[in-house]
Amino acid sequence: MRAIFMIALREYAENAKTKGFWIGLFLFPVIIFASIAVQRLLEDSTPTRHFVLVDQSGAYGAEIREDIDRAYRSSVLMALNGYALEHAVNPPEAKEIDLEETPPIDMAEMQQSIESHMGPEMGAMLDEEGIESMLELMSAPFDGLVEDRPEFEMPRPAFLEVPLPKELNADASVEELSEELRPYLRGEKTIVVDGEEVSLFACVLLPRDIQDFVQRPGLMADLKRAKALQDKVDAGPDAKPVRRGGQYWGSNLADSDLKNRIQRSINKTLQRRELETRGLDVAAVAAVNDTTLRLSALDPKKEEGKEEVSTADQIRQWAPVGFVYLLWIGIFTISQMLLNNTVEEKSNRIIEVLLSSVTAGELMMGKLAGIAGIGLTMIGVWMGSLVGILGLSAGPEAEFPTMLLEVLTGSGLIFWFVLYFCLGYLLYAGIFLAIGSLCNTIKDAQNLMGPVMLIMMVPIITMMFIPKDPNGTLATILSWIPLYTPFTMMNRAAADPPMFDKIGTLVLLVVFTLFTLVMVGRVFRAGILRTGQPPKIRELLSWMKP
Amino acid sequence: MIELSVSRLNKRFGGNHVLKDVSFEVKGAEMIGLIGPNGAGKTTSIRMILEIIKPTSGEISILNGRSALEVRDRIGYLPEEKGLYKKMRAWSIIAYFATLKGMSRKDAKHRAFELLERYGLKDFANAKTEALSKGMGQKVQVLASIAHDPEFVILDEPFSGLDPVNQEVMEDVIRDLSERGHTVLFSTHVMSHAERICDQIVLLAGGKKVLDDTVENARHIIPRKLRLESPKSLQFLEQMGDVLRMAPIDEKGDIIVDGQGQPGKLWDVYLSEKAEPIDVIEACLREGIPLERFDYSPPSLHEVFVHLVGDQAKEASFR
Repeated sequence: MRAIFMIALREYAENAKTKGFWIGLFLFPVIIFASIAVQRLLEDSTPTRHFVLVDQSGAYGAEIREDIDRAYRSSVLMALNGYALEHAVNPPEAKEIDLEETPPIDMAEMQQSIESHMGPEMGAMLDEEGIESMLELMSAPFDGLVEDRPEFEMPRPAFLEVPLPKELNADASVEELSEELRPYLRGEKTIVVDGEEVSLFACVLLPRDIQDFVQRPGLMADLKRAKALQDKVDAGPDAKPVRRGGQYWGSNLADSDLKNRIQRSINKTLQRRELETRGLDVAAVAAVNDTTLRLSALDPKKEEGKEEVSTADQIRQWAPVGFVYLLWIGIFTISQMLLNNTVEEKSNRIIEVLLSSVTAGELMMGKLAGIAGIGLTMIGVWMGSLVGILGLSAGPEAEFPTMLLEVLTGSGLIFWFVLYFCLGYLLYAGIFLAIGSLCNTIKDAQNLMGPVMLIMMVPIITMMFIPKDPNGTLATILSWIPLYTPFTMMNRAAADPPMFDKIGTLVLLVVFTLFTLVMVGRVFRAGILRTGQPPKIRELLSWMKP
Repeated sequence: MIELSVSRLNKRFGGNHVLKDVSFEVKGAEMIGLIGPNGAGKTTSIRMILEIIKPTSGEISILNGRSALEVRDRIGYLPEEKGLYKKMRAWSIIAYFATLKGMSRKDAKHRAFELLERYGLKDFANAKTEALSKGMGQKVQVLASIAHDPEFVILDEPFSGLDPVNQEVMEDVIRDLSERGHTVLFSTHVMSHAERICDQIVLLAGGKKVLDDTVENARHIIPRKLRLESPKSLQFLEQMGDVLRMAPIDEKGDIIVDGQGQPGKLWDVYLSEKAEPIDVIEACLREGIPLERFDYSPPSLHEVFVHLVGDQAKEASFR
C-alpha cells in the first residue's frame, strides 16, 4: 500500500508540473468565461452598420426608415431596462424566476412584440426628459435608482443610414448606381459621416419599376415565375440579367440582419397596401394577425400538474452534451499522460529500478491512482470554475448563466459526471496503460493508438444526435457497450432513462472495467520488461491467461 | 553469512537456453565481479537474482531471503541501461527511489542531499536530470540505488558509456561503497575494472560459469609470460621443466614464423602456472648467458579472460 501511495504521489506531483496540465486546467474556465463574455462583447463590438438607401420608387423608403428607427428605439428601451435593474436600490433576486415553471422563451418573437409597441410616438419620449421619466418608471418597483450611478449611455444604433456619396446621382439607373457603389461596398472608397470616414456595409436600391416585381399567389403567377427561371437557365450563366427589381448589395454574407429587416419591412408595407386597395380594415387585420393561441409543450414523464416543458427542462436536455464533451476531453487527456509516462519509463529503463523496488501490480495501481488524482483535480477545477463563473455572472440581467447554474446545481448531472468520469477513466486508462507497457517508443504507441482513437471518436460523433432521441435505439445500444457507457449515459442523463438502463449499464460497466484491469495487469506484468517490437496478438492473448 | 547463493540456475527464452546450470555463492566477500563477454547471461542472472524475471529452474537465496522481494528494501540496484526521469530534479529522484525502498520522505530528502554532497554533486542537487552530463547522470543513478543504505548493491555495467576519467570516478564510488560495508556485486566486460577492485570474480560465457575464484587465483590459471632479450641463443631454456614453450619475436612483439625472417634477440617464454620467473634468471646466470632485457608482469585478468573465453566470445559475435 505504501509503495502504491509513493508512486501515486510522484505521478501526481510530476504531472502536475507539466505545462499540459496547467493549460488543460485553465483552458476550460477561460472558454466558459469567454463564451459568456463574448455574447456581450459581440453586442458591444459589432460596429454600427452603415447603409445607403435609394428609393426611386418612393414606395417603401419611409417605412423602411421607420422600421430601422423602431428597432433602435426598442434597443434603447432594453438598455434602459437593463440599466434600471442594474442600478436599482433593491434589484430583484434572480432566484425569483422559477425556471421549473417558466416556459421556454422565443427571443425573436419577444423582440418583435416589443418593437410593435415602439411606434413613432415613442420617439418623442426618448429625449433627455423622456429617458429620465422612463427610468423612474422602470425602477419604481425596486425602490428607485441608487444615487451614485454612471450616466446612462445611449446604445449604438445597429444600422445607420448614410446619404449617397455626393458624386453619385440618385436619379441614375439602378444598374449605374450599383456599378458606382461597388468600390464603396468593397471598402475601396469610404463615405464621410460627421467628419468620420466609414465604410459602406450595404446598399439598398429600389428602382422605379419595383412594383412590377411584386409576386402574387396563384397558378399563373407561379407559371410565370417558373418560365422566368427557365429563361434564366437557358440564357446561361454569362448572360447579364437586365432587370432585377429591388436589390440589396452587401459583401458580408454572414450578417443578414439588415437584409432580413428590410425584406420584412417591404413585405409588411406591401401587404398593408394590398389590404387597403381591397378595402379591408388594416387595424382589424393587424389585430387578427396578432391574435395567437399558445400550444403548451407537455412532458408525460413529469409528475402530474407539472407536465409543462419549462426552460429548465430544455437546459437539462442540452447541458449533458457539454458534459459529454468534458468527459471525453478529460479522460482522453489524462489517459494520454499515463501512456506517455509509461512509455518514458520503459524507454528509459527506469522500469527496472522500479521493479526491483515494487511489484508490477503496485506500480500499475500507483500510476492509475496518481493520474486519477490529476484527473479529479482537473474536473474539480472545471466544475468549481463553471459554478463559480456562472455564479459571478449570474444576476438579474444575465438570465442564461443564472438558469444554467440553477439547473446544474439542482440536478444530479454533476454527480453522474464525476461517477462516469472515474469509471471511464479506469477503463480507458487501463487500456492505455496496457498499450504503454507494450511499446518502447511513442511512435510504437501511436501505431497501436490508431484503432483506440477510432473507437473513441464514436461518442463525439453521436454526441449531438443522442439528445434528440435520448431513449431511442441508437442511444440504448451504445449505452450497453461498456466502452461507450460513460459517454452515452451522460448524454442521456437528462432524459431520465429507464432505471433498468441506468443500473444495468452501470453494473456492466463496473464489471467490464474490473475485468479489463485484471487483463491489463497481466499484460502489463508481461509487457513492461519486454524490449523490441510490440508483441503479436496471439502472444498478447497468451499473456492474458491466468 | 552467505549473502547470495545461486544454485543450478537455468533460463530459457523460448528455444534460447541463455543460462545453463549456473551456481555460485557470495560469502563474506565485499566486491564481486560478474564478468563475461556480451551475451554471456550476466544481465539475465542479475534480473533473476532481483526477481524481476523468474528463472526456468534453479534456486536463488539473497540475504537469507527466499525471494528478493522479501528483502528488496535491503538491496540496491542499478540496471544495465541507465535512465532517469528527465524532468525530475537530481535530489528528488534519489529521494523518490529511497522512499520506494521504505524510507520516510523526510529522511529520504535529507539522505539525498547528503549523498550528493559526499560525491561532489552538491551544486547539481536542484538540476533537472536532463541537464546533467552522462557521467553525472550515471552517478546520480548509482546514488539513487544506494540511497536507502542497502546491505547488498547490484550494479549492472556501471562503467558502460563513461570516459576513462569518469570510469575511475565510478571505481572510487564503488570502492567507497565497499569500504562502508556494503556488499557490491557488479557486472562488466571490461576486465581491468574487475581486476582493480574485485575480491571475487565469477566468469560467465555462453550461459555457463567458467570461473569462480579470487582475482589472484584467477591469474594463476594461465601460463606466465616472460620477454627476454639476449645476444646469445636462449634455446637451452626449452630444456627447463617449467618452460612450456618459447617463440622468437620481432620488435613489435609479433611471433616470427619460420621462413619469414631471422630469429633475433627477442624471445617470449611461457612458463607453467606454478613456475617462478626468478628460476629463469638463475638458469641464465648458471649458463653464463647475459640478459639485456627481462620483462615479467603477472598475467592480467584480461589475458585470463581472452584465454578462457576468447574463441567463444568471437564465435558468439559472428553468429
